[in-house]
This record gives sequence, structure tokens and C-alpha cells, in this order.
Amino acid sequence: MLNQSRRDFLKTSTLITSATLGLNSKSKAASKYVLSEDRMGVLVDTTVCIGCRKCEWACKVAHNLPTEPIDTYDDRSVFKEKRRPNDKALTVVNEYPNDFTDKFPIDVKVQCMHCDKPACLSACIVGAFSKHENGAVFWDSTKCIGCRYCMVACPFQIPAFEFEKALKPDIKKCDFCYKDRTFKGKLPACVEICPVEAITYGRREDLIKAAREKIKMYPNRYVNRIFGEYEVGGTSWLYLASKDFEKLDFPKLGKDPAPGVSEAIQHGIFAYFVPPVALYALLGGIMWINKNKKSKEQEQDK
Amino acid sequence: MKKILLIVIIISFQLLAQNKINVNHKYQELKCSTCHTCEIPTKEKPCLIDCPRDKMITIEHKAEEGPVVLTIDRLKKQTDIYKPVIFTHRLHAEMSDMAGGCKMCHHYNPPGKVIGCKECHEIDRNRIDISKPDLKGAYHQQCMNCHRQWSGKVECLSCHDLNANQKKSEKQKEIDATKKVHKKVEPPKIIKFETPKSSSKFVEFLHEEHFNLFSIECQKCHSNESCNKCHYKFKPVPASQKSTLEKHTKCSNCHDTKSNCTMCHSNNAKNAFNHLERTGFDINKFHSKLTCQRCHVEKGKFIGLNSDCSTCHGIWTKDNFKHSLVGLQLDETHLEFDCTECHQNKKFEKPTCKNCHDDKEFPKDKPGKLVK
Repeated sequence: MLNQSRRDFLKTSTLITSATLGLNSKSKAASKYVLSEDRMGVLVDTTVCIGCRKCEWACKVAHNLPTEPIDTYDDRSVFKEKRRPNDKALTVVNEYPNDFTDKFPIDVKVQCMHCDKPACLSACIVGAFSKHENGAVFWDSTKCIGCRYCMVACPFQIPAFEFEKALKPDIKKCDFCYKDRTFKGKLPACVEICPVEAITYGRREDLIKAAREKIKMYPNRYVNRIFGEYEVGGTSWLYLASKDFEKLDFPKLGKDPAPGVSEAIQHGIFAYFVPPVALYALLGGIMWINKNKKSKEQEQDK
Repeated sequence: MKKILLIVIIISFQLLAQNKINVNHKYQELKCSTCHTCEIPTKEKPCLIDCPRDKMITIEHKAEEGPVVLTIDRLKKQTDIYKPVIFTHRLHAEMSDMAGGCKMCHHYNPPGKVIGCKECHEIDRNRIDISKPDLKGAYHQQCMNCHRQWSGKVECLSCHDLNANQKKSEKQKEIDATKKVHKKVEPPKIIKFETPKSSSKFVEFLHEEHFNLFSIECQKCHSNESCNKCHYKFKPVPASQKSTLEKHTKCSNCHDTKSNCTMCHSNNAKNAFNHLERTGFDINKFHSKLTCQRCHVEKGKFIGLNSDCSTCHGIWTKDNFKHSLVGLQLDETHLEFDCTECHQNKKFEKPTCKNCHDDKEFPKDKPGKLVK
């Protein structure tokens, strides 16, 4: 008797699970990312960057963040430790030693990579993130509820949270200067100021072409890889380097987009009112089993 | 009337000059496709390939041929924090002599005159063609590539003046810049190398001899040296880390470094170059005033000439050789003989008298009188 009812219970729960999974695959097939062929990007040539940190200054000015005067950025002692972008600096430059001792160091600018398939966007349960036609991954303060799922989801650990603010803290990250600049066809602030044009703004496709050409022309200068071309499904920001990217603190990532499976399950579960339906189905199932059980018991009693 | 005539003459002259260039251009050793995309380029549609070009052609110029000082103000804006750079072009050209020459900066230069950065690099950073950096980027990339290496400095102020700084007039600064010169590099006479070997430990490189006596151009060995050969922030790779092959590359261009070690490696100091000692041919007698290239015609190569006189001088006969030049005026009897009667070897060394005289011997007896 007892065994029988347990089997029934398992049957129902399996049914529910498979139903959910079925929905999952459906939602995975219908890709919602419509990426424009003309989406923009930025190519960072770390062999050209001189580590002047003018981009850091320009970024802060463009985003109304407090900043020291521009000439203080000449201080190279900041390179002693590796920094990460945070709520006070949306982009930072780090310096790494060169393998050849007679060569100058390698400077690497770090900021949001503006993934083609952003994990933050998938993780956000209220849709505060959006991927725009020009490639920008943009965060909307009016929708954010401060859950910080985006911070966990990001494969590059970029979104930063204003922990110090008690009232209405924001998520801070590079926004591709979307509203004031790139949306209007202007250059991002960092690209505009860079004295050596180590960061080039252009169509992502053109940038990849240019990067490939550079590698072909100067095979001794670059490792044969464009970081961001395929990583986590491709990113708007692309990097060239003279040294293995992993040695420059770039995360080791696969080609699959970071959202991947988790997103499919999450979105699948939340789509079509599955959770409430599944819950009621489960409860109903238990009721039905119990009812059967009772009636059988009554029959036996008779 | 005269003026008009003069103008006409000048114009026609210029036209002729232009034509001349075109003719030369046609016969230059270049494929049309190096610069043009279409098969038959015309004046109206030259269909020139955008730079950078894969195959680069550069015409070497001397440092003196370029401008002395350039004010790089193409990108000047009212809002600029920094003033335009007053670039000491000649000084830099001189410094690049031992590096890569003009093409270090003027890369992908089409044939003809050297063109500036602005001819290829766009002023506007927000542009369609991003295959090459914009003008600002191009300028800075060129400068920083070297400046970073030798000074390690990237501060704007190391080249630019602040716009607010009005102490000196621009004109004065330009004049000051023309006076800037690189400290004269004194080439060392001898460079001593110590090798880690136990025997034949030292290599004494007779540096001065190589360029003074053998007239080897500096660039032949110092061809790829940027400023950071001497000025460096980041230490160069020490010689001990280089491979044997790497250490010998510069010498092996001319010397056999694989089988003949003792040529350079020894325990003692090297004597100055002596032609007799090294080759067995004494040049001090008659050839001391000649430059090496007079006999060793092939540039940079000094090996294996036949020491027979006829190799360079052709065949001497009694009619075409003025014997007094060697310091001995032949008497009338001896002038009648063929050279070979007395000189029986091809080097015209010590003559034999035995063919005619039994009791005479050179140099005790002479077939004439000594002259100066």
C-alpha cells in the first residue's frame, strides 16, 4: 500500500520535472539576442598602451564621478598593486612585466567587456540590463532592485555595488558611454582621450579584421589570439597582447556564453507560470493520492 | 612683355621637369600593382592602394636633407591643455642613423619624396577606416615606442609644454630647438670582451680599425639599434643569456666564426692589423698609400686576392714599365731586356743575374743607379 502510493508520488513529480525541462529546451531554441551586424566595439592593443591612465580620468569626468586632477594620474606607483574596476572607477589600467627584460611593461585596461551574450542580463530577474543595438550592455537604475545577481553572474566580475550608500545604492559598471556618447554616434570618453589610440572604436567586424591584419603583419609582436572574439560567445571589447592573456589576469573562459544552462532553466521555470502551476499540480496530486488511499482503506474496512 | 616671357619659360621648365619625373617613375624597378589597384592607372584615376602597403618601398635620405625643426600643430585646438610639440626632426633623423633610418617613422613610404604622417593618417578619430591609427595616435605611437624604452617616461610634459605656460615665445623655442644636438658619440678604439672559457679567454675587438682602416660603415654592424642601446630604463638581455650563435652574428657576417676561433679569441692583446703578418703580402713598400677598396673592390669583403702583380696591374713589359719608380734607374744596357730576363717570378721580386753574369749578385751589384 505504502509502496504503491510512493510510486504514484514519484510518477507525478517526474511528470512535472519533464514538463519543465521540455519548456526549457523550447526557450533555449528561441534565442532572444538579436545582435546587429553593425554593432560597435573597441579594440584594445595592449602593446601600444603606455599606461598614462588618461582613460581613467576621462571616464570619471564623463560619468560625474569624483576625480583627482589630471596631472596626478602620472603617478605610476599605483601599478604596484593590481586594481579592479569598482563603483568609484569604472575602468582601471594595470601593469604587468614584459617577458623580455629590455622591453617596456605591458599595460592592460580593464572595464566591462560588453558581452554579446551578457550573463548579467540573463541573471537579472527584473530586466534592468539591456543589450543595445550598438553593442552596449546598459544598466537601468529605475528597474534595479539591488539583488546583485549580476555581480555573481559576470564572468569578468565587473558590476560593482555602491555598498557605502545606505539609500538607493546603484550598480556601477562601464556603460559604453551609451546615453551621452555612443548612442549619438560619438566616441566613448576613454577612446576619445587616449593619446596613442591604444583603444580603437569601430564596427566589431572591422576591428576583428584589423586585429587579424596586425597579427599577420607583426607575428612577433602579438600572440595569435584576439581575446573577446569567441570568449563567452564574443564580447564587444577585444584585446590584443604580446603575452598569454591568462598571464595578464584575463579569466580563462570557454567559447560558450556564460548564461548557458542556468539561464535556460531559470527562464524556463519562470516562463508560462510554471512555478504556481507546478505547485498546484503537486498539491493536487498529493490530494488525489490521499483520497484514493482513503477510499481504498474504507473499502477494506467494509 | 619680358615678364610674361619669363613666366612662360618658368612654367614650361616646370612642366618639363614634371614629365621627367614621370618618365623615371615608369622605369623604376617597381611593379605597378605595388601602388595601384587597377591595371592602367591614369592621372585622373590613379587608383592608388591605401597605405599601409604590404610591400614597402623607402628611399633613404640623409639627415641633413630633412627639416631641422617641425612644430606639430596639425591637431591644435583652443581647448588643448598642452601646446604643440616642437619636434627636433634633424636631431631625431641623426639618431635614427644607426637604427632604421627614415623608415623607422616614415614607414610604407611610397617612392619619391618622404611624406609626413598626416598624408595617410586621418585627423578624425571617429572614422570608418580603422585599419590604421588616427593622426594623434600615429604621432604618439611613433614617439612613445622609443621614449618609453629609454626614459620609461610617459608623462605628457616630457614632450609638451602646458598651454598656460607663456614664458617663452614659440619662435624662441623653435630657435632653441634648432640648437639642440646629441652629444657626440666617441667610438671606442678597442672593445675587450671576456668570455667564460678557460683558454683563449679574451676577444680584443679592434673597433676603430674596422671603420677607419677597413672603411666599414657604422650601419653595417649597428643597423638595428634604437636609442635604448645606450639609454635604457629596462635592462637589456645580458650577453651571458645569449646563445653562441647570437653572440657571433655580427662578426660572422664577414669572419668565419665556426672553424677559426683563434682569429679573434686569444689570451694576449691583439696587435694592430698588419697586412704582411695576416696575408703574407707586404703593402708597406709600394701600396701603403692606397685605400683598401682600391684593390679589394668588392665592398666589405677583404678576402683572397691573387698577390701576383698582374692581377691588378696587367702585363708589364719593358716599354710600359717605368723602372725608376721602384727606386732604381736601369742603365742603358739593361733597359733593353725583357722583364723576365732578370725577374723570373710573377711577383717581380729579387732579380737573378746568373743568366748573363757569373760573378754578379743582387743587391750587392746593381744594374743601374739608385734614385729617390
